[in-house]
Amino acid sequence: MSDTQWETYEVFHQARRGDPHEHVGSVHAPDPEMALQLARDQFARRLKCVSIWVARSRDITMTDYQDESFFAQSTDKSYRDPKAFDAPAKTESE
Amino acid sequence: MTVQIPQNVSQETLKRFILTLADDELVLGHRDSEWTGYGPILEEDIAFSNIAQDELGHSLVWFTLYHELGGDHPDSMGFAREWSDFTCCRFVAYPKGDFAYTVVRQFLFDVAEEERLKMLMDSAFPSVREIAEKLSREEAYHILHSQGLVERLGDATEESHQRMQQAVDAAFPQALGMFETIDGEKELVAARVFAGNDILKSEWLKRVIPVLEGATLKVPVRSANGSYVVTCAADEGGRKQNHTEHLRQLVADMQSVYRSIPGAKW
Amino acid sequence: MAEKTKEQLLAEFEARIARGEKVEPGDWMPDEYRKNLIRMIGQHAHSEIVGQLPEGKWIPYAPGFRRKLTLVAKVQDEAGHGQLLYRAAETLGKSREEMLDELLSGKAKYSNVFNYPTPSWADVGTIGWLVDTAAVINQSMLAQSSYGAYARAMKRICYEEAFHIKQGYDLVVALAKGTREQKQMAQDSINRWWYPTLMMSGPPDKMSDHTSLAIRWRIKTKTNDQVRQEYVDHIVPQIRALGLVVPDANCKFNEETGHYDFTPPDWDELKRVVNGDGPCNKERLEVRRRAHEEGRWVREALAAKRKTVARLPQARGGQAA
Repeated sequence: MSDTQWETYEVFHQARRGDPHEHVGSVHAPDPEMALQLARDQFARRLKCVSIWVARSRDITMTDYQDESFFAQSTDKSYRDPKAFDAPAKTESE
Repeated sequence: MTVQIPQNVSQETLKRFILTLADDELVLGHRDSEWTGYGPILEEDIAFSNIAQDELGHSLVWFTLYHELGGDHPDSMGFAREWSDFTCCRFVAYPKGDFAYTVVRQFLFDVAEEERLKMLMDSAFPSVREIAEKLSREEAYHILHSQGLVERLGDATEESHQRMQQAVDAAFPQALGMFETIDGEKELVAARVFAGNDILKSEWLKRVIPVLEGATLKVPVRSANGSYVVTCAADEGGRKQNHTEHLRQLVADMQSVYRSIPGAKW
Repeated sequence: MAEKTKEQLLAEFEARIARGEKVEPGDWMPDEYRKNLIRMIGQHAHSEIVGQLPEGKWIPYAPGFRRKLTLVAKVQDEAGHGQLLYRAAETLGKSREEMLDELLSGKAKYSNVFNYPTPSWADVGTIGWLVDTAAVINQSMLAQSSYGAYARAMKRICYEEAFHIKQGYDLVVALAKGTREQKQMAQDSINRWWYPTLMMSGPPDKMSDHTSLAIRWRIKTKTNDQVRQEYVDHIVPQIRALGLVVPDANCKFNEETGHYDFTPPDWDELKRVVNGDGPCNKERLEVRRRAHEEGRWVREALAAKRKTVARLPQARGGQAA
């Protein structure tokens, strides 16, 4: 690792309790603890935040954009959608 | 604006005390802000700018209380007062030096501030209690950062160790000047506004020594009967307005635009 | 899966862009696209960090608490923007260290405008107001960039730029409404920054090498001349509303075109300044070089030391939900 080239950590930020953590960017840092602080200074200066996660970029496993078949939904799966059923939502009382 | 002040302590004594806090933060905040744009790495530039804004913000909070106690307005106090009237310790006015000096100074100052704020959360003066509670939350983050840097830089490489040791050699005697007795301190202690600089110093030593020594840095103290005894002289005088040339230059810079046109608003 | 030919890949790439879809890190992209983007994003990042210096120099002299705090926050944002942009460029395969080396050795370019001096406090206001207005017009357009990582960085940056413009404008308003000396300070500042800000949008379209590819692949969606005109139309009424003068006798509203006419800047000056021969190029780079050198021991030390004591809670494995 050369002197300016610290590893990168991906930063996930939770605005309020109950919200999902959102990916907001990444920081270079020498270790996870500093990554948290640097992420707080870089990504939570203005935005409200109750929790930050950092993960080493190299630990993130990701799909390949080129491999579109990974997400293929080529046969009819409309049975999973509530709109596919005709039965009325309410039944009338007798 | 009526501020409820405790019995048995004069408004002047209170003001003088608040002023030392305000002046320390303003001058250190100014030094910290000199790193913005010049930090050793982008991420530290951002981090240090946060700390600078916090210190300046703390200063403004204390100056505002000072104003409520009958003193001049914060901008007048910070930007139009003669440098010889400042009551900051000499420590905060020394030039920012290299990053090692800045980090060590920040750490030593942050711990003193946190301990002082803890004591002030028990103050008989309600306004001070409120402010102390608010400021201590930001202070916790400062210490996380500055202590973290001390621990990392103290023994990381040959060069970092040398620089950090030099920084401690310079800063430690200067830091002791933070605890110089202030005018009216006996009155403040008796009225339970503030528990006093001796106690503060001893709490401070208990915290900073283990961290510095843990980072393999030598400090001019020895242990005796479970407490620390300092073996160097303190660089004092600031509370009695006996300042160094550095403060004169700093204040001249800080006030140069503000005072450049009499009566102007900026 | 059959191997695709270069022609097929290019066709797919261009179809994606035509659909308005974003190109993401890891996608196949033509070399020219990658190179163009690295150059543009890199220049943008360099501009942010060099841009800290003209205003950062005034932090010790800022008059009053509010101005001082605001200026620290603004210059801090610029470091933050630089950080975001270097990260975006890194997704294209060039390291930040390599980019910084190019900046410090004088090989990389950055915005012309930061090579001019800031001799007066008023310049802090003018930069925030004029320079950042021009920047925002450019940047809002770049937030639509076809490259996903760049677009995302730009959106964050645009959000913070609104503050930059407002604080700069507020500063100049205080001067324009102040003493005669203050008003003159503001006017002097505008006189000095008018043409440099016109040059910020880059050389005129007819002289620009990179524009056509950048437009075709929606790296940018407006030409330099379009952005420049937008800036002029926006800023001229604001300047005049403060009782200040635009230092260009030809700057008049044209009823026919619906835009302001203006004297074009000296394009030779732009070329010289961008290629290293402006009033402050050497000085700015020297300052950055020194900061970089003096910080080397810090970076090395922090990289060498693995911090093993954790004072903060570890997120427990499998907690992501």
